[in-house]
Amino acid sequence: MSQLAKPHPFDERALGELMEESQDLHTDAMAVGRTTLPDLADLASDRRRAGHVAESTAVADFERDRQQLIHRVTMAVGGVFGVGAISYAFAGTAAAADGDIDVMQLQTAVSIELLAVATYEAALSLPFIKDGNPVIIKFAETTMSQHDEHRQAFSAQTKVLGGTDQTATNPKYTPIVEAAKPTLAAPIDVVKLAATLEQVATETYLGDLNRYTDVTSRMLMASVMGVECQHLATLLAVGALLEGGAPELIAIPLGADVAKLPAAAGSVAFPDAFSGVTMASPPEEGAVS
Amino acid sequence: MNQTTTTPTTTPSPSFTRRRVLGGAAVIGAGLVAAACGSDSNDAISPANSTGSGAGSQSPDSTSMGSTPQGTATETTAAGEESIDLKVAGLAAGLEVLAVGTYKAALDAAGAGSLGEVPPAVGEFVTTAMAHHQEHLDAWNKVLSGAGAAEVTEPDATLKPTVDAAFAKVTDVVGAAELALMLEEIAAATYLSAQNVLTDKEAIMLAGSIQIVDAQHAAILYYVLGEYPVPDVFAKTDLAAS
Repeated sequence: MSQLAKPHPFDERALGELMEESQDLHTDAMAVGRTTLPDLADLASDRRRAGHVAESTAVADFERDRQQLIHRVTMAVGGVFGVGAISYAFAGTAAAADGDIDVMQLQTAVSIELLAVATYEAALSLPFIKDGNPVIIKFAETTMSQHDEHRQAFSAQTKVLGGTDQTATNPKYTPIVEAAKPTLAAPIDVVKLAATLEQVATETYLGDLNRYTDVTSRMLMASVMGVECQHLATLLAVGALLEGGAPELIAIPLGADVAKLPAAAGSVAFPDAFSGVTMASPPEEGAVS
Repeated sequence: MNQTTTTPTTTPSPSFTRRRVLGGAAVIGAGLVAAACGSDSNDAISPANSTGSGAGSQSPDSTSMGSTPQGTATETTAAGEESIDLKVAGLAAGLEVLAVGTYKAALDAAGAGSLGEVPPAVGEFVTTAMAHHQEHLDAWNKVLSGAGAAEVTEPDATLKPTVDAAFAKVTDVVGAAELALMLEEIAAATYLSAQNVLTDKEAIMLAGSIQIVDAQHAAILYYVLGEYPVPDVFAKTDLAAS
């Protein structure tokens, strides 16, 4: 008999007990989810209403409950097969990490970046973009490339923290983008859609900052945030020029035409002295489930 | 500020290129946050000594602010961490005083006709950015006063000489925009760098929120100066810490 065909010497009675315990643990898990997820949703809602991130006690409780559950599951499985330590070590990487608030935020960031790349790519295929203003083309191409580098950086950091790489676009905003695509009929439509995504990215990353326990992740997110907000500022300025009937002023270098810019061009890109988080996505929104 | 539609000078003056200005800023800006946080954990801002003397007035032998009942920036963290947050707050406030003062000087110079013709968008930008920086200053001073420390009313003592020297060379709108860009980039980089050391959740959010707006100021200045508005893939800390 070959090595592959050799039957595994598992204990059927122990397996049965394990399955029963697994069902109990599943029940517990559902209970935990029912208990903590509404709290997390409330927290996000409160944060959006208040315009700033609230104390993350509820988020920490959510994480702790998940970690405890993972610990119980892993030790139960390990006890049956006599390899508890190894199993726990394994679970301490991927499974536990995916429940970590830092990892969840990074995964959500990846989902946003993936959607941004896809959106700019789609925009560049539109006739009125690809045959239009060269500055807008360059902006779309450069911004798409920058978002892809952000995605790569967030993915790499997710793996550093032991999490699973997110490969799907953001679940909340993907349908919104898909619904908007057929309605894109002019550059201003694309600019507004892109600005929405950039605002979501900027505010999500801002809202995430004080929840990080890992400082490297926080620094990475703040660094990317500092670029997404410039995308947003540029789009707001470009949008104002398009809506103001001055597309010829979308040029680099603008040269002497700086004098032709309307006064509003000097303030439209930053309407407030402080950035808010009203459009911030909660940590779990794009997390790997 | 005189706002006209007359063509401004768009070529940087030979003696005042952005590269040169930023080169000087890098030397000054380097280590600001590091300096604020590099002393031992017993260091703290002295409320008395910080009055009217900006970030440079932080006293290494003063007591921690954490025990003050009205403390808001640091009351939930350890004593050593409290002093770091307050030092960053003091540093940030000194930077904001400098920004407000420089934009005000630019407005005065424009009003006196020293900068030549000023495009309406540039005038609007200066007015808006100055107001933003004043709000940022007020926010940091609220943090300081909330923790029992004195508010900062003087510009950052380390950076001010460089800015003053640069401003003395400003003769037109382009030069003023170059100087403004230098200040905005230093501010944004400093707030980014601060994320490495801040511990208080509200302070982290405040720094991040201001970093965004300052980076957006910089983006528009890049555009006005004829450069691509988003030059970096990742925001840098070069001008804040070496």
